[in-house]
Amino acid sequence: MSEGPSLEVRDLVKHFPLSGGLLSRKKKVVRAVDGVSFDVRRGETLGVVGESGCGKSTLGKVVMKLIEPTSGTILLGGTDVTHLEPGAMWPHRRQIQLVFQDPYSSLNPRLSAGTIVGEPLENFGLARGSDKDGRVAELFKRVGLRPEAMRKYPHEFSGGQRQRLGIAKALAVNPDVIVADEPVSALDVSVQAQVLNLLIDLQDEYRLTYLFISHDLGVMRHVSHRIAVMYLGRIVELTDKRTLFSRPLHPYTEALLAAAPIPDPTKRKARRRIVQGEVPSPTNPPSGCHFHPRCPYVLPACRTIDPPLVEVLPGQRVACIRREPGAEPAPLTPTR
Amino acid sequence: MTILQVRDLKTQFFTRDGVVRAVDGVSFDLNAGETLGIVGESGCGKSVTALSILRLIPAQAGRIVGGSVTFEGTELTSLSESEMRKVRGHSISMIFQEPMTSLNPVLTVGTQIAENVVQHWGVGWREARDRAREVLELVRLSDPKRRLDEYPHQLSGGMRQRVMIAMALSCDPKVLIADEPTTALDVTIQAQILDLMLELKEKIGAAIIMITHDLGVIAETAQRVIVMYAGRKVEEASVEDLFARPAHPYTRGLMRAIPRLDLDAEEAGRRARLDEIPGIVPVLTQAIPGCAFASRCAFATDRCRVEPPPLFEQGGGAFGAAHSHHDGAGIAHAHDGPTGPHLAACWHTDRVLEAAA
Repeated sequence: MSEGPSLEVRDLVKHFPLSGGLLSRKKKVVRAVDGVSFDVRRGETLGVVGESGCGKSTLGKVVMKLIEPTSGTILLGGTDVTHLEPGAMWPHRRQIQLVFQDPYSSLNPRLSAGTIVGEPLENFGLARGSDKDGRVAELFKRVGLRPEAMRKYPHEFSGGQRQRLGIAKALAVNPDVIVADEPVSALDVSVQAQVLNLLIDLQDEYRLTYLFISHDLGVMRHVSHRIAVMYLGRIVELTDKRTLFSRPLHPYTEALLAAAPIPDPTKRKARRRIVQGEVPSPTNPPSGCHFHPRCPYVLPACRTIDPPLVEVLPGQRVACIRREPGAEPAPLTPTR
Repeated sequence: MTILQVRDLKTQFFTRDGVVRAVDGVSFDLNAGETLGIVGESGCGKSVTALSILRLIPAQAGRIVGGSVTFEGTELTSLSESEMRKVRGHSISMIFQEPMTSLNPVLTVGTQIAENVVQHWGVGWREARDRAREVLELVRLSDPKRRLDEYPHQLSGGMRQRVMIAMALSCDPKVLIADEPTTALDVTIQAQILDLMLELKEKIGAAIIMITHDLGVIAETAQRVIVMYAGRKVEEASVEDLFARPAHPYTRGLMRAIPRLDLDAEEAGRRARLDEIPGIVPVLTQAIPGCAFASRCAFATDRCRVEPPPLFEQGGGAFGAAHSHHDGAGIAHAHDGPTGPHLAACWHTDRVLEAAA
């Protein structure tokens, strides 16, 4: 049976206007998301990885329609939801749910855990009364919480348990797609493993589609099927997980992988090539390829040409003019 | 040669919920010129250990209730506040996680660094400013001369951390304590800062205590490692030995719980499950009679729950410094070789190592 992607995004753009000074005529914008396209199949995890300011969190919020895109298209289960007004969007809201990074600030401290998880059921008219309570108890069990904990308040839970609550709440309405924005970044390693395992189990059980946003390459490698690498509002490389880690083709992907510390002293990177400089401001991104000021393989043309994301090898899309479609993926020669 | 000696350090905080035993009898030695890693999860006491060494525990919140910290033979816990001030930022300095909150926002970078130099070296402002420029060059901050007159908010996160390091190094410290120095930074900037620290350590010969929750950072920087759990030292080993043969169930559990970016976790097309450590850390306001990890440990027996395990020598093995011995506090002595012995506080390390094999 062939089915279309659960989530499709085409040329998505989100620019935030900056309020200039009283006398300044020229409006500056932050190009948080600057022309991003991808699709995610049912039951698949697309990881979105990048450093702070790359636009990955904004991307998640735009896909959720928590903020309106400047332009581009969002298709949810084949339906264009880009321009739906809140009322018309309502029935589609059930299909896509969000799990936040910070379980401490995303749960209402004055509501009991059971009420929090049951709220979406009532909002969407899916269950009420004892029906709802039964369903909430089931959800609690499914995410590894005791149903008796329904009476407790958020502050009575540990960080990992609160993230389980957040997941239970997202699951309550049987969504197709879950956008998870750094869902384990606030957790300690031992608890992080519990939550990652839960997310993977739930995906396998309900064929959930995940848009999984994280800065952590280890987490990415563990949960994703495919990974998109973002830099200053754009996807610079998009491919399946195994290819990304074994044969990265974009110089920025290569730099990210080389920079991440590996928990194995025998693999200590004594003289690794570290990319120099810092991420430029998204209000004033560099011309041409945004990565060119830091790129060890930069050519003069990189300063002017905006490289499109093209399929260089089957299933591997790269935005770099030094990577020609179909060419043998040889290591690049540094130019500086 | 040992320059910093910590013995049976106990630091407690006094809260409405009771007494928090944040550091509960920790001992270790720091040798000149080495990098000692302290690793553990939130609340394990690693940062409080660092703050206790420098006597930076806020008096209204808590205090050192026992043990000793000696730096080059001088007992630090009983120094007067004015004597202690001569140690901080001079012979022992510290780098914090968040440079924005540890730099003074209303002073220029140059003034902040020079202030430290004037204070400790007793030189004039002009000379101190020259020193400030020198250390900014040392940490390879771009355009150091101009940066002297800039304020912290004008710098990026990576640049601020370079300024913090420059300030910490401004008076040639013998010990540099770095508390999660790269945790707030992006991965490419983190790599730059870690490399810088290692390079500078070679150059100036200071010993480093690297405190972090990140086993990757430990593997890349430390020579010797202490693993802390619930305020206690549960394992100590050379970095190679620790990763090759983790002998404490907690260390082993931590290592197996990390999603690895260097390993393929795929098992026959399916994503593998991570090994979880069940449960959560114990509440530190209640006395823990036995091993603090017993409630989460797959190897635990009745004995573990009532009798705290001492640090046992793990000796032997491919990497072991087999000839070493240690005193009751579980201390690596100088003659144990460059990386010291392998110690683990567990009654059942034989079973742990067997399970790993």
